Amino acid sequence: MSNLDIWAVIAVLTLGTFLTRATFWLVGHHITIPKRVHEALRYAPACALAAIIVPDLLIHHDHIEVSLTNPQLMSGIIAGAFFLYQRSMLGTILLGMAVFTVVRIAS
Amino acid sequence: MQDSSQTDQTSSADRIANLSQAQINEKEMETPREMQKRCFREGVRACSPSLIGITAWGLVTGIAMIKSGFTLVQALGMTFFVFAGSAQLAALPLIVLSAPVWVIFLTGLMINLRFVIFSVIIAPHFTYLKFWQKAFWGYMTGDVSMVYFMSRFPTEQAEPGKFEYMKGLFAANWVAWQLGSVAGIFLGNLIPQSWGVGFAGTLAILCVLLPMILKRATLAGVIAASAIALATYHWPYKLGMLAAVIVGMLCSMAWEEWQERHSGTSGEQS
Repeated sequence: MSNLDIWAVIAVLTLGTFLTRATFWLVGHHITIPKRVHEALRYAPACALAAIIVPDLLIHHDHIEVSLTNPQLMSGIIAGAFFLYQRSMLGTILLGMAVFTVVRIAS
Repeated sequence: MQDSSQTDQTSSADRIANLSQAQINEKEMETPREMQKRCFREGVRACSPSLIGITAWGLVTGIAMIKSGFTLVQALGMTFFVFAGSAQLAALPLIVLSAPVWVIFLTGLMINLRFVIFSVIIAPHFTYLKFWQKAFWGYMTGDVSMVYFMSRFPTEQAEPGKFEYMKGLFAANWVAWQLGSVAGIFLGNLIPQSWGVGFAGTLAILCVLLPMILKRATLAGVIAASAIALATYHWPYKLGMLAAVIVGMLCSMAWEEWQERHSGTSGEQS
Protein backbone atom coordinates (compact mmCIF):
# COMPACT_ATOMS: atom_id res chain seq x y z
CA MET A 1 0.00 0.00 0.00
CA SER A 2 1.13 3.53 -0.72
CA ASN A 3 1.63 6.06 2.04
CA LEU A 4 -1.62 7.77 1.03
CA ASP A 5 -3.55 4.48 1.18
CA ILE A 6 -2.26 3.79 4.67
CA TRP A 7 -3.38 7.22 5.85
CA ALA A 8 -6.77 6.58 4.24
CA VAL A 9 -6.98 3.34 6.25
CA ILE A 10 -6.01 5.20 9.43
CA ALA A 11 -8.72 7.80 8.71
CA VAL A 12 -11.51 5.26 8.15
CA LEU A 13 -10.50 3.16 11.18
CA THR A 14 -10.53 6.32 13.32
CA LEU A 15 -14.03 6.99 12.01
CA GLY A 16 -14.96 3.40 12.91
CA THR A 17 -13.69 3.81 16.49
CA PHE A 18 -15.62 7.04 16.82
CA LEU A 19 -18.87 5.74 15.28
CA THR A 20 -19.06 2.61 17.43
CA ARG A 21 -17.99 4.20 20.72
CA ALA A 22 -19.42 7.73 20.63
CA THR A 23 -22.59 7.64 18.50
CA PHE A 24 -24.84 6.48 21.30
CA TRP A 25 -23.39 9.12 23.65
CA LEU A 26 -24.43 11.78 21.15
CA VAL A 27 -27.88 10.54 20.06
CA GLY A 28 -28.74 8.03 22.81
CA HIS A 29 -31.09 10.28 24.76
CA HIS A 30 -33.45 10.23 21.77
CA ILE A 31 -33.72 6.45 21.98
CA THR A 32 -35.46 4.56 24.79
CA ILE A 33 -34.02 1.16 25.59
CA PRO A 34 -36.49 -1.37 27.04
CA LYS A 35 -35.83 -2.22 30.69
CA ARG A 36 -35.22 -5.90 29.90
CA VAL A 37 -32.57 -5.06 27.32
CA HIS A 38 -30.93 -2.73 29.81
CA GLU A 39 -30.78 -5.48 32.41
CA ALA A 40 -29.24 -7.86 29.90
CA LEU A 41 -26.57 -5.30 28.98
CA ARG A 42 -25.11 -5.47 32.51
CA TYR A 43 -23.67 -8.84 31.52
CA ALA A 44 -22.12 -7.63 28.25
CA PRO A 45 -18.65 -6.60 29.48
CA ALA A 46 -18.00 -9.92 31.25
CA CYS A 47 -19.13 -11.84 28.16
CA ALA A 48 -16.96 -9.68 25.91
CA LEU A 49 -13.88 -10.19 28.09
CA ALA A 50 -14.48 -13.96 28.09
CA ALA A 51 -14.88 -13.94 24.31
CA ILE A 52 -11.53 -12.15 24.03
CA ILE A 53 -9.45 -14.35 26.35
CA VAL A 54 -10.91 -17.86 26.13
CA PRO A 55 -9.69 -18.39 22.53
CA ASP A 56 -6.33 -16.91 23.64
CA LEU A 57 -6.11 -19.58 26.36
CA LEU A 58 -7.39 -22.62 24.47
CA ILE A 59 -6.42 -22.15 20.82
CA HIS A 60 -2.88 -23.28 20.16
CA HIS A 61 -1.46 -23.89 16.68
CA ASP A 62 -4.81 -22.77 15.21
CA HIS A 63 -7.00 -25.37 16.93
CA ILE A 64 -8.41 -26.04 20.40
CA GLU A 65 -5.75 -27.83 22.43
CA VAL A 66 -6.45 -29.02 25.97
CA SER A 67 -3.11 -30.45 27.01
CA LEU A 68 -0.18 -29.95 29.37
CA THR A 69 1.90 -28.64 26.49
CA ASN A 70 -0.43 -25.72 25.68
CA PRO A 71 1.53 -22.89 27.32
CA GLN A 72 -1.38 -20.41 27.40
CA LEU A 73 -3.74 -22.90 29.03
CA MET A 74 -1.22 -24.06 31.66
CA SER A 75 -0.31 -20.49 32.45
CA GLY A 76 -3.98 -19.45 32.63
CA ILE A 77 -4.89 -22.27 35.04
CA ILE A 78 -1.94 -21.75 37.39
CA ALA A 79 -2.09 -17.94 37.28
CA GLY A 80 -5.89 -17.98 37.69
CA ALA A 81 -5.66 -20.21 40.78
CA PHE A 82 -2.94 -17.96 42.18
CA PHE A 83 -5.10 -14.89 41.61
CA LEU A 84 -8.14 -16.38 43.37
CA TYR A 85 -5.88 -17.18 46.32
CA GLN A 86 -3.73 -14.02 46.44
CA ARG A 87 -5.76 -11.34 44.59
CA SER A 88 -2.58 -9.74 43.30
CA MET A 89 -2.81 -8.84 39.63
CA LEU A 90 0.85 -7.99 39.17
CA GLY A 91 1.95 -11.22 40.85
CA THR A 92 -0.49 -13.16 38.69
CA ILE A 93 0.84 -11.64 35.48
CA LEU A 94 4.47 -12.28 36.45
CA LEU A 95 3.78 -15.88 37.53
CA GLY A 96 1.64 -16.46 34.42
CA MET A 97 4.34 -15.18 32.06
CA ALA A 98 6.93 -17.36 33.86
CA VAL A 99 4.78 -20.50 33.48
CA PHE A 100 3.98 -19.55 29.86
CA THR A 101 7.67 -19.19 29.03
CA VAL A 102 8.71 -22.42 30.79
CA VAL A 103 6.01 -24.52 29.07
CA ARG A 104 6.71 -22.86 25.72
CA ILE A 105 10.43 -23.67 25.89
CA ALA A 106 9.91 -27.15 27.39
CA SER A 107 7.30 -28.32 24.87
CA MET B 1 -24.77 -7.59 79.74
CA GLN B 2 -27.83 -5.42 79.19
CA ASP B 3 -25.97 -2.38 80.46
CA SER B 4 -22.94 -2.89 78.35
CA SER B 5 -25.05 -3.43 75.23
CA GLN B 6 -26.92 -0.23 76.01
CA THR B 7 -23.73 1.74 76.39
CA ASP B 8 -22.51 0.14 73.18
CA GLN B 9 -25.63 1.27 71.46
CA THR B 10 -25.42 4.82 72.72
CA SER B 11 -21.73 5.06 72.01
CA SER B 12 -22.16 3.66 68.52
CA ALA B 13 -25.07 6.05 67.95
CA ASP B 14 -22.81 8.87 69.13
CA ARG B 15 -20.09 7.65 66.89
CA ILE B 16 -22.42 7.60 63.90
CA ALA B 17 -23.58 11.11 64.76
CA ASN B 18 -19.98 12.27 65.13
CA LEU B 19 -18.99 10.51 61.96
CA SER B 20 -21.73 12.07 59.87
CA GLN B 21 -20.89 15.43 61.42
CA ALA B 22 -17.26 14.85 60.50
CA GLN B 23 -18.27 13.90 57.00
CA ILE B 24 -20.36 17.05 56.68
CA ASN B 25 -17.42 19.10 57.93
CA GLU B 26 -15.11 17.34 55.52
CA LYS B 27 -17.50 17.95 52.65
CA GLU B 28 -17.76 21.58 53.63
CA MET B 29 -14.01 21.87 53.72
CA GLU B 30 -13.46 20.05 50.45
CA THR B 31 -13.96 22.45 47.56
CA PRO B 32 -15.62 21.08 44.39
CA ARG B 33 -12.23 21.24 42.71
CA GLU B 34 -10.65 19.08 45.42
CA MET B 35 -13.53 16.62 45.27
CA GLN B 36 -13.09 16.31 41.51
CA LYS B 37 -9.36 15.71 41.88
CA ARG B 38 -9.97 13.10 44.56
CA CYS B 39 -12.49 11.23 42.37
CA PHE B 40 -10.14 11.36 39.37
CA ARG B 41 -7.38 9.83 41.50
CA GLU B 42 -9.80 7.18 42.78
CA GLY B 43 -10.53 6.21 39.19
CA VAL B 44 -6.85 5.95 38.35
CA ARG B 45 -6.19 3.91 41.50
CA ALA B 46 -9.12 1.56 40.85
CA CYS B 47 -7.81 0.42 37.48
CA SER B 48 -4.08 0.62 38.28
CA PRO B 49 -3.62 -3.16 38.77
CA SER B 50 -4.78 -3.78 35.19
CA LEU B 51 -2.51 -1.20 33.59
CA ILE B 52 0.55 -3.42 33.19
CA GLY B 53 -1.54 -5.81 31.11
CA ILE B 54 -2.94 -2.96 29.03
CA THR B 55 0.62 -1.74 28.40
CA ALA B 56 1.69 -5.22 27.33
CA TRP B 57 -1.16 -5.33 24.83
CA GLY B 58 -0.26 -1.92 23.51
CA LEU B 59 3.34 -3.11 23.18
CA VAL B 60 2.27 -6.07 21.06
CA THR B 61 0.11 -3.88 18.84
CA GLY B 62 2.99 -1.44 18.37
CA ILE B 63 5.34 -4.27 17.42
CA ALA B 64 2.79 -5.71 15.00
CA MET B 65 2.42 -2.38 13.18
CA ILE B 66 6.17 -2.05 12.66
CA LYS B 67 6.49 -5.69 11.57
CA SER B 68 3.72 -5.10 8.99
CA GLY B 69 5.96 -2.53 7.33
CA PHE B 70 4.55 0.70 8.74
CA THR B 71 6.88 3.68 8.97
CA LEU B 72 7.34 5.25 12.43
CA VAL B 73 5.04 8.17 11.53
CA GLN B 74 2.33 5.88 10.15
CA ALA B 75 2.45 3.62 13.20
CA LEU B 76 2.32 6.59 15.60
CA GLY B 77 -0.55 8.05 13.58
CA MET B 78 -2.44 4.79 13.77
CA THR B 79 -2.04 4.35 17.52
CA PHE B 80 -2.93 7.95 18.40
CA PHE B 81 -5.89 8.30 16.01
CA VAL B 82 -7.41 4.82 15.77
CA PHE B 83 -6.83 3.81 19.43
CA ALA B 84 -8.51 0.40 19.02
CA GLY B 85 -6.10 -2.51 19.50
CA SER B 86 -8.21 -5.36 18.21
CA ALA B 87 -9.35 -3.41 15.13
CA GLN B 88 -5.73 -2.39 14.41
CA LEU B 89 -4.47 -5.97 14.74
CA ALA B 90 -7.23 -7.20 12.42
CA ALA B 91 -6.53 -4.48 9.85
CA LEU B 92 -2.78 -5.16 9.58
CA PRO B 93 -2.93 -8.40 7.55
CA LEU B 94 -5.52 -6.76 5.26
CA ILE B 95 -3.18 -3.80 4.73
CA VAL B 96 -0.32 -6.16 3.91
CA LEU B 97 -2.61 -7.83 1.33
CA SER B 98 -3.62 -4.38 -0.04
CA ALA B 99 -7.32 -5.08 0.63
CA PRO B 100 -9.74 -2.32 -0.44
CA VAL B 101 -10.09 0.49 2.09
CA TRP B 102 -13.84 -0.08 2.52
CA VAL B 103 -13.23 -3.73 3.45
CA ILE B 104 -10.79 -2.62 6.15
CA PHE B 105 -13.31 -0.02 7.33
CA LEU B 106 -16.08 -2.63 7.66
CA THR B 107 -13.71 -5.01 9.45
CA GLY B 108 -12.82 -2.34 11.99
CA LEU B 109 -16.48 -1.47 12.43
CA MET B 110 -17.47 -5.11 13.04
CA ILE B 111 -14.71 -5.69 15.57
CA ASN B 112 -15.72 -2.56 17.48
CA LEU B 113 -19.42 -3.39 17.56
CA ARG B 114 -19.22 -4.48 21.20
CA PHE B 115 -18.52 -0.84 22.03
CA VAL B 116 -21.99 0.06 20.77
CA ILE B 117 -23.34 -2.18 23.54
CA PHE B 118 -20.94 -0.62 26.06
CA SER B 119 -21.97 2.89 25.04
CA VAL B 120 -25.63 2.04 25.56
CA ILE B 121 -24.69 1.18 29.17
CA ILE B 122 -22.46 4.14 29.91
CA ALA B 123 -23.92 7.04 27.89
CA PRO B 124 -27.08 7.47 30.05
CA HIS B 125 -24.80 8.35 33.00
CA PHE B 126 -23.51 11.40 31.16
CA THR B 127 -26.39 12.86 29.16
CA TYR B 128 -25.75 16.29 30.71
CA LEU B 129 -22.28 16.72 29.17
CA LYS B 130 -21.51 19.05 26.29
CA PHE B 131 -21.44 17.63 22.75
CA TRP B 132 -17.66 17.60 22.41
CA GLN B 133 -17.19 16.07 25.87
CA LYS B 134 -19.53 13.20 24.97
CA ALA B 135 -17.77 12.70 21.66
CA PHE B 136 -14.34 12.68 23.30
CA TRP B 137 -15.05 10.43 26.30
CA GLY B 138 -17.11 8.08 24.17
CA TYR B 139 -14.13 7.72 21.86
CA MET B 140 -11.89 6.98 24.89
CA THR B 141 -13.92 3.95 26.11
CA GLY B 142 -11.94 0.75 26.70
CA ASP B 143 -12.97 -2.84 27.46
CA VAL B 144 -11.42 -3.04 30.91
CA SER B 145 -12.39 0.54 31.85
CA MET B 146 -16.03 -0.44 31.27
CA VAL B 147 -15.84 -3.21 33.86
CA TYR B 148 -14.36 -0.93 36.52
CA PHE B 149 -16.90 1.79 35.78
CA MET B 150 -19.85 -0.58 36.06
CA SER B 151 -18.69 -2.15 39.30
CA ARG B 152 -18.31 1.31 40.86
CA PHE B 153 -21.52 2.80 39.41
CA PRO B 154 -24.05 0.02 38.78
CA THR B 155 -26.99 2.45 38.51
CA GLU B 156 -27.52 5.61 36.47
CA GLN B 157 -28.29 7.65 39.57
CA ALA B 158 -26.45 11.00 39.51
CA GLU B 159 -23.52 11.07 41.94
CA PRO B 160 -20.96 13.78 42.52
CA GLY B 161 -17.57 12.92 41.11
CA LYS B 162 -18.82 10.26 38.69
CA PHE B 163 -17.55 12.12 35.64
CA GLU B 164 -14.11 12.62 37.22
CA TYR B 165 -13.90 8.96 38.27
CA MET B 166 -14.68 7.95 34.68
CA LYS B 167 -12.06 10.38 33.38
CA GLY B 168 -9.50 8.83 35.75
CA LEU B 169 -10.28 5.32 34.49
CA PHE B 170 -10.27 6.25 30.80
CA ALA B 171 -7.22 8.51 30.96
CA ALA B 172 -5.13 5.94 32.85
CA ASN B 173 -6.15 3.28 30.33
CA TRP B 174 -5.19 5.60 27.45
CA VAL B 175 -1.78 6.45 28.94
CA ALA B 176 -0.97 2.79 29.71
CA TRP B 177 -2.02 1.73 26.20
CA GLN B 178 -0.12 4.48 24.38
CA LEU B 179 3.04 4.01 26.47
CA GLY B 180 3.08 0.33 25.48
CA SER B 181 2.19 1.03 21.89
CA VAL B 182 4.87 3.73 21.40
CA ALA B 183 7.45 1.49 23.10
CA GLY B 184 6.44 -1.33 20.73
CA ILE B 185 6.75 0.97 17.72
CA PHE B 186 10.30 1.96 18.66
CA LEU B 187 11.45 -1.45 19.95
CA GLY B 188 9.49 -3.38 17.31
CA ASN B 189 12.36 -5.21 15.79
CA LEU B 190 14.14 -6.02 19.06
CA ILE B 191 11.45 -8.09 20.79
CA PRO B 192 10.92 -11.55 19.26
CA GLN B 193 7.31 -12.52 18.53
CA SER B 194 7.89 -15.88 20.22
CA TRP B 195 8.19 -14.30 23.67
CA GLY B 196 4.44 -13.84 23.61
CA VAL B 197 4.49 -10.53 25.49
CA GLY B 198 0.84 -9.97 24.55
CA PHE B 199 -0.18 -12.89 26.71
CA ALA B 200 0.29 -10.58 29.70
CA GLY B 201 -2.79 -8.71 28.44
CA THR B 202 -4.76 -11.96 28.43
CA LEU B 203 -3.66 -12.65 32.01
CA ALA B 204 -4.69 -9.14 33.09
CA ILE B 205 -8.16 -9.66 31.65
CA LEU B 206 -8.34 -13.04 33.38
CA CYS B 207 -7.78 -11.23 36.69
CA VAL B 208 -10.56 -8.74 35.89
CA LEU B 209 -12.93 -11.51 34.83
CA LEU B 210 -12.44 -14.04 37.67
CA PRO B 211 -14.09 -12.01 40.47
CA MET B 212 -17.07 -11.31 38.17
CA ILE B 213 -17.88 -14.97 37.59
CA LEU B 214 -18.38 -15.61 41.30
CA LYS B 215 -21.91 -14.40 40.57
CA ARG B 216 -23.66 -17.41 39.04
CA ALA B 217 -25.75 -15.58 36.46
CA THR B 218 -22.55 -13.97 35.12
CA LEU B 219 -20.79 -17.35 35.13
CA ALA B 220 -23.60 -18.84 33.05
CA GLY B 221 -23.22 -16.07 30.47
CA VAL B 222 -19.42 -16.29 30.48
CA ILE B 223 -19.49 -20.04 29.85
CA ALA B 224 -21.92 -19.58 26.96
CA ALA B 225 -19.94 -16.68 25.52
CA SER B 226 -16.71 -18.70 25.75
CA ALA B 227 -18.25 -21.66 23.94
CA ILE B 228 -19.60 -19.44 21.16
CA ALA B 229 -16.28 -17.60 20.87
CA LEU B 230 -14.46 -20.92 20.40
CA ALA B 231 -17.04 -22.31 17.97
CA THR B 232 -16.99 -19.14 15.84
CA TYR B 233 -13.24 -18.59 16.04
CA HIS B 234 -12.83 -18.82 12.27
CA TRP B 235 -15.70 -16.49 11.38
CA PRO B 236 -14.65 -13.44 9.38
CA TYR B 237 -14.31 -9.97 10.97
CA LYS B 238 -14.39 -11.48 14.48
CA LEU B 239 -18.18 -11.43 14.18
CA GLY B 240 -18.21 -14.49 16.40
CA MET B 241 -17.28 -12.23 19.26
CA LEU B 242 -20.47 -10.21 18.84
CA ALA B 243 -22.46 -13.46 18.69
CA ALA B 244 -20.69 -14.58 21.87
CA VAL B 245 -21.62 -11.38 23.72
CA ILE B 246 -25.27 -11.56 22.66
CA VAL B 247 -25.73 -15.27 23.45
CA GLY B 248 -23.84 -14.80 26.75
CA MET B 249 -26.13 -11.95 27.81
CA LEU B 250 -29.22 -14.00 26.96
CA CYS B 251 -27.94 -16.95 29.02
CA SER B 252 -27.22 -14.69 32.01
CA MET B 253 -30.73 -13.24 31.77
CA ALA B 254 -32.29 -16.70 31.46
CA TRP B 255 -30.34 -17.85 34.51
CA GLU B 256 -31.39 -14.77 36.49
CA GLU B 257 -35.02 -15.34 35.59
CA TRP B 258 -34.89 -19.04 36.44
CA GLN B 259 -33.30 -18.19 39.78
CA GLU B 260 -35.93 -15.56 40.57
CA ARG B 261 -38.68 -18.04 39.85
CA HIS B 262 -37.10 -20.64 42.13
CA SER B 263 -35.85 -18.31 44.86
CA GLY B 264 -39.10 -18.83 46.81
CA THR B 265 -38.48 -22.57 47.15
CA SER B 266 -34.70 -22.87 47.39
CA GLY B 267 -33.83 -19.46 48.81
CA GLU B 268 -30.47 -19.68 47.08
CA GLN B 269 -28.80 -16.33 46.60
CA SER B 270 -25.80 -15.53 44.55
